[in-house]
Amino acid sequence: MFPDHLSTTYAALADPTRRAILARLAAGEATVGELAEPFAMSLPAVSKHLKVLERAGLIARRRKAQCRPCRIEAQPLKDAAQWLEHYRQLWDESFDRLDAYLGELQSGKTQDGRNR
Amino acid sequence: MAVTADGAVLSAERELVITRIFDAPRRLLFKMWTEPEHLERWWGPAGFTMIFSRMDVRRGGAWTRSMQAPDGSVIRKHGVYREIVPPERSVFTYVTDDPEGNPGPETLVTVSFVDLGGKTRLTLHQAPFQAVATRDDHLRGWTGALERFAEYLAASAV
Repeated sequence: MFPDHLSTTYAALADPTRRAILARLAAGEATVGELAEPFAMSLPAVSKHLKVLERAGLIARRRKAQCRPCRIEAQPLKDAAQWLEHYRQLWDESFDRLDAYLGELQSGKTQDGRNR
Repeated sequence: MAVTADGAVLSAERELVITRIFDAPRRLLFKMWTEPEHLERWWGPAGFTMIFSRMDVRRGGAWTRSMQAPDGSVIRKHGVYREIVPPERSVFTYVTDDPEGNPGPETLVTVSFVDLGGKTRLTLHQAPFQAVATRDDHLRGWTGALERFAEYLAASAV
């Protein structure tokens, strides 16, 4: 029912630095050095974050190039969005029922309906 | 390069927001969410039957609900209340178990009620818990909740 990787995706997204890295990569490929620039962080620290993102499948690194630039991988984010989106339908259906039930209560069928 | 700590590009993937206006006063809406005999009447999609429900509506209290789908399968959802601020807000964690009983990712649901003079605007936020609840957020949330609750008690004592 739930793709296992969702938990991995969300764990990777839990960190603000990693979200910022992804936001930067959404604008295009970047090297580790370029990614480290806006943060007051060492290259190894940034590399550690990149490893988490890579394991979660959120980024990929080009093997050929010497500098191994990173790019964002959209699919896990899409999966995560889709998973959350399925709740929208669930709530909408519940809210329809809530609306109907409130109607019943307030039409005087139940004493409970009036409340200050 | 200006990069915000929380990339806006990612926010859409991390949060669900639903708004609806109900033709009922705010206090009544709040009751619908916090009193079992009411909640059990509407919770869940059409065609599902509530077969088990327990809710301890207070900060730190647990809730669990099992529903039977039209195809006979049973779906269990559970969580913990993080904030209860009558009649304006209820915040709780929300987990759906898979059919084998393994918990899915934990999300945080915030339901807020705004009084529109007889009608009520309900806004529901749902977001993956890990992605939104840093320790600091937690502290701010808790402190704010306690302050509001104190205000609420003071106001209702008058």
